Amino acid sequence: MTSEAKTLQAGARRAPQLPTAMADLLRNRQKLKKELLEQPNLLSTRIAILGGSTTTEVKSMLELFLLAQGIKPTFYESGYNRYYEDVSFANPELWNFKPDIVLVHTTWHNVSQFPELMETEAEVEERVRHEMAGFEAFWEKIHAELGAVIIQNNFDLPRLRPLGNLEASQPFARLNFLMRLNAEFANYARSHSRFFINDIHYLSAHVGLTEWLGNSYWYSFHMALSPTATVALARNVAAIVKSIYGKSKKCLVLDLDNTLWGGVIGDDGVQNLLLGSEHTVGAIFRDFQQYVKDLQRRGIILAVCSKNEPETAKEGFSHPDSILKLEDFAAFKANWNPKPGNIVEIAEELNIGLDSLVFVDDNPAERAIVAEHLPEVAVPDVGSDVSMFAEILERDRYFEVDKLVQEDLSRATFYASNAQRKTSGSSFANYGEFLASLEMTGVIGPFTPMYLERITQLINKTNQFNLTTRRYTGAEVEAVAHDPSFITLYGRLIDKFGDNGLVTVLIGHVIDDMVEIDVWLMSCRVLNREMELAMFDALVEHCQARGIRRIVGVYIPSKKNGMVAKHYADLGFERVDGASEGRDLWQYEVPQTYEVKTRYIRRTTEPVLAPENTEAAPVSSGV
Amino acid sequence: MTRYEFLLQMDEILGLPAGTLRGNEKLEELENWDSTSLITFIALADSAAGVNVSPAQVVNCLTVADLLRVARVDISPTAQSA
Repeated sequence: MTSEAKTLQAGARRAPQLPTAMADLLRNRQKLKKELLEQPNLLSTRIAILGGSTTTEVKSMLELFLLAQGIKPTFYESGYNRYYEDVSFANPELWNFKPDIVLVHTTWHNVSQFPELMETEAEVEERVRHEMAGFEAFWEKIHAELGAVIIQNNFDLPRLRPLGNLEASQPFARLNFLMRLNAEFANYARSHSRFFINDIHYLSAHVGLTEWLGNSYWYSFHMALSPTATVALARNVAAIVKSIYGKSKKCLVLDLDNTLWGGVIGDDGVQNLLLGSEHTVGAIFRDFQQYVKDLQRRGIILAVCSKNEPETAKEGFSHPDSILKLEDFAAFKANWNPKPGNIVEIAEELNIGLDSLVFVDDNPAERAIVAEHLPEVAVPDVGSDVSMFAEILERDRYFEVDKLVQEDLSRATFYASNAQRKTSGSSFANYGEFLASLEMTGVIGPFTPMYLERITQLINKTNQFNLTTRRYTGAEVEAVAHDPSFITLYGRLIDKFGDNGLVTVLIGHVIDDMVEIDVWLMSCRVLNREMELAMFDALVEHCQARGIRRIVGVYIPSKKNGMVAKHYADLGFERVDGASEGRDLWQYEVPQTYEVKTRYIRRTTEPVLAPENTEAAPVSSGV
Repeated sequence: MTRYEFLLQMDEILGLPAGTLRGNEKLEELENWDSTSLITFIALADSAAGVNVSPAQVVNCLTVADLLRVARVDISPTAQSA
C-alpha cells in the first residue's frame, strides 16, 4: 500500500455517519453533534438564517448535516418572520455577525399578496414584478452591504387547492403564481453568481406535500416544515454549502458485476449479462448505467474497481445495451488485489484526494473493507437493490455543484487527452524533449470578469499545490481584481493535445515596494510542466513594471500541501528568519535584469485557440 | 413501547447517559429540555409509537412521567422491568 494509504491508516478516522432514519437522527442528535464536533480540521463558516417562519429546527438539523461534511457553522437567527426587516433596517446584530452565507428560509406562506380571482394575465405579471422587486432589493442589499453568499428557498406549493385543477392553468391561481415566481427566482440565480436556489419546490414534491407541512407544527410553533421536511431541507442546504466550499466529491468508483450489470462476467460471459430493456432486472442495471452516464456528462470522473481479469472486465462494455463505454472511465482497475489498494492507486492516477471519491459496490463485504481502510472515501450503504443505488447517491448529494462551467463538461475529453500525453511521454529520451514536444502555450494575465467564477472555484478547491490554502469568496476575488494594491494573475495552459483550462492563480498584496504572495495555487494536473515557472516569470515582469523590489512568499503548511514546501527555495527565494509559527516566509529581490525561467512554455496574454477537435478541459476535478 | 424503552429514548433526546431518567424528574429542571427536544418528542411519539401528541399536551406536562402518559406508554410493572 502507498505511503498515502499508510498515513491514512495511521491518522484518519471515519467521521460519524448520520443515520438515514429520521427517528434515529432526531433521537441521537445531541450525541451525534458532540461526536461530529470532535473531528479534526473542521472548516468554520458563519451562517445567518433569515426566516419567514420558526427556524430553530432548521438550524439544529443544518448544523448536524454541515458537521457531517466537515463544516462547523456559527449561526445567527432572525426573529420569527423578521427576515425582511432584519435586512431592510440593517439590524446591527446581523451586520455585526458578518455572515459568510445568508440562508433565506421563506416558503409560500411569505408571499405578500396573491392575485385576486379573475385577474388578467397582465395584472398577474404586474404582481410578479412587484413581488420580485421586493426580493431583489432585499438580495441586493445583502450582497452589497453584507457581502455574503445567498441561499434562497424558492417556493413550495400549498397543500390546498381552492380552484382544484384550475390552479395549474389559470394565471390568477395561487399555484400558477408561485410557479411564475419560481421561474423569476431561477432567472435571478442564472445571472448572479453568488446566489443559489434551495429548491424546496422539488424537495416538497419529493417528501410529499402531506408530509411537508405538519399542521400541528405550523399552528403551534409556526414551523413551515415538518421534522421530516426539515431533515430534507437541511440535507439540501448542507449540500449547497459543501459545494460552495469545494467539498463536493469528484469521482465515482464503481464495481462491475451486479453493480453495473447483472451477473458475473467471468462466469456468465458477456452475452448472458442482465442488461437492457429486454429483461426486468436488466432494465434496472441499464437505468443505473444511464444515471452514471448522466453524472459523467456533467463532469463527474468515473473509475472502475473490480475483482476480475482485466480483459474480461472490459468486455462487459461491449454489451450492445451497455450505455457506459470503456472510454467513459478515467481509471480502470480490474484485478484480484484488495480494493483499498486499487482505490488508492486510482486516486494517485487521477491526482485527486481520497476524500474526492465515492465508492459503490453491491457487495457489503467490499464496502466494509474499503470503509475500514480508507476512511476518507465515501462509501454509501447502497444495499444490494440496484434500483435504489441512484436514489441513495442522490439522497446524499455527493456531487452537488454550485455552478457548471465549460471545464466541468469537458472533463472526459481532458482525461482522454491526458492519457495521450502520458503515452506520448514514454517515447522520449528525456523529459525536456517531451515537454518541448507538447508545444505548450501559457496564457497569463490579470483577473478578468469572464474568469472570476473559475478562479473562485479553484481557490476554494485546490489543496495540494497551494502555498497558503487561503480561501476567497467570489466577492473577495472580485474586490482584489479591481484593487490596484493587488497583483492578480491567472494562467491557462494549452498544448498540442488540447486546452488544460485555467489551471493556476496568484494573488499578491502590494505594500510600498514589496509584494506579498497571499495566494498561489495550481492544479495538480499540470504538475512538472513548468507552468509555475511561467507564472513566476509573469509576476517578476509585473513587479519590474511597477517598481516593486521585493517579493515575499508565504508558505503555510497543511495536511495536504507538503508538495510545495520547497517551492520558494526552488525558485531562488531566501528564507526569512523569525517567521511566525505555522508559516514560513521567503523573500526574493527583484533583479533589474531578469532571465526567464520557463524553457518550454510560450507565454502570452492573448487568448489562444485550442487545437482543433479538442475542447476546453477541466482542472477543477484535479485540485 | 415500554416505559424502559421510552426513558432510554428520552435519555438520548436530552443527551444524557443511558439510564439517567427515572420518570419523576421535573422537565423544567432538565438542562436540555427546550423547544428542540419538545419537537423531537412529538415527532418520535408519532413515528416510533404511532401516537399523535399535540404541542399543547406537551406544554402542559410538568414531569417526564407526564410525557409518558401523553405518549400512552405502557407503564405497567412488567413493562418497567423490560
